[in-house]
Amino acid sequence: MPATILIVDDSKILRTMVRDALEADQHRVVEAADAGAALHSVDMMPPDLVITDVNMPDTDGITLVRALRERPRERFIPILVLTTEAGDEMKQRGRAAGATGWLVKPFDPARLRETVRRVLKPRPA
Amino acid sequence: MTPAQTPVAEGEVTLYIGGVHASRAPVVIKTLLGSCIAVCLHDPVAHVGGMNHFMLPYGADAQADGAARFGVHAMDRLIGETMKVGGDRRRFVAKVFGGAHVIGIRSAQGSVPAQNIEFVRQFLETEGFPVLNTDVGGEQPRHVHFHTDSGRAFVKRVAGSAQLVQREQRSMRTPPAYGDVTLFD
Repeated sequence: MPATILIVDDSKILRTMVRDALEADQHRVVEAADAGAALHSVDMMPPDLVITDVNMPDTDGITLVRALRERPRERFIPILVLTTEAGDEMKQRGRAAGATGWLVKPFDPARLRETVRRVLKPRPA
Repeated sequence: MTPAQTPVAEGEVTLYIGGVHASRAPVVIKTLLGSCIAVCLHDPVAHVGGMNHFMLPYGADAQADGAARFGVHAMDRLIGETMKVGGDRRRFVAKVFGGAHVIGIRSAQGSVPAQNIEFVRQFLETEGFPVLNTDVGGEQPRHVHFHTDSGRAFVKRVAGSAQLVQREQRSMRTPPAYGDVTLFD
């Protein structure tokens, strides 16, 4: 089922690559180049899923995950981290901040779509 | 210390194909390029910099968009690592080296080194990083020394070697693997 997905990455090329991968599944994709723009976007158009990079100017992706989890509406939506950071320590920081999953770049478009389908699937209450 | 004294030697790091290095402390990053490309990024305010050394994969295992995907990854890692050591991407300036015709493989669209050069040119333009200097193409390999604090780069053309060609050919036919996916409970 198509969803609204917010992509947060400081790289325009990366955002386009993620957008292309997700639009193939008919998702509506919204882009933000940094955490500030992401929080503004969330206010304007609440997403069903957020996919964020880690290393970005001003505010990193882990801090963004934490900020989103403090909001009532975004507290329970899936948040995926898509990053070049592959170390366990960073992964655990992401998990502790409230991330739903951790995807290491370079990403396989088919695997990204499959992961998105999985995390968007309603879970049994 | 008198003016004639040599400053304490900076650290040195040697980079090979697929490598990325960025440093907060001043270091000289050295690499030897044949058909490969090295991009140096420098933040002139924070005085930090980094370099990558890569080649787009080519051949049966790497479709056109797949190849670019791995090139983007090499650039993304460099940007991320340079930001982690204190750089701000809004101030980054770039220098580009390599892409010599040492491998001797040509594709229908043009030479492999030319594709690498064009990929980097487009990437840097799209991401908005000013390119201060390029020394690309030709037929001779290059030794590059990049000073991460000043952003200065020194290039020396050297004679080719069979070992370098073999290493680059191997790398070109071996696309890097996709990253892992972990879903937390």
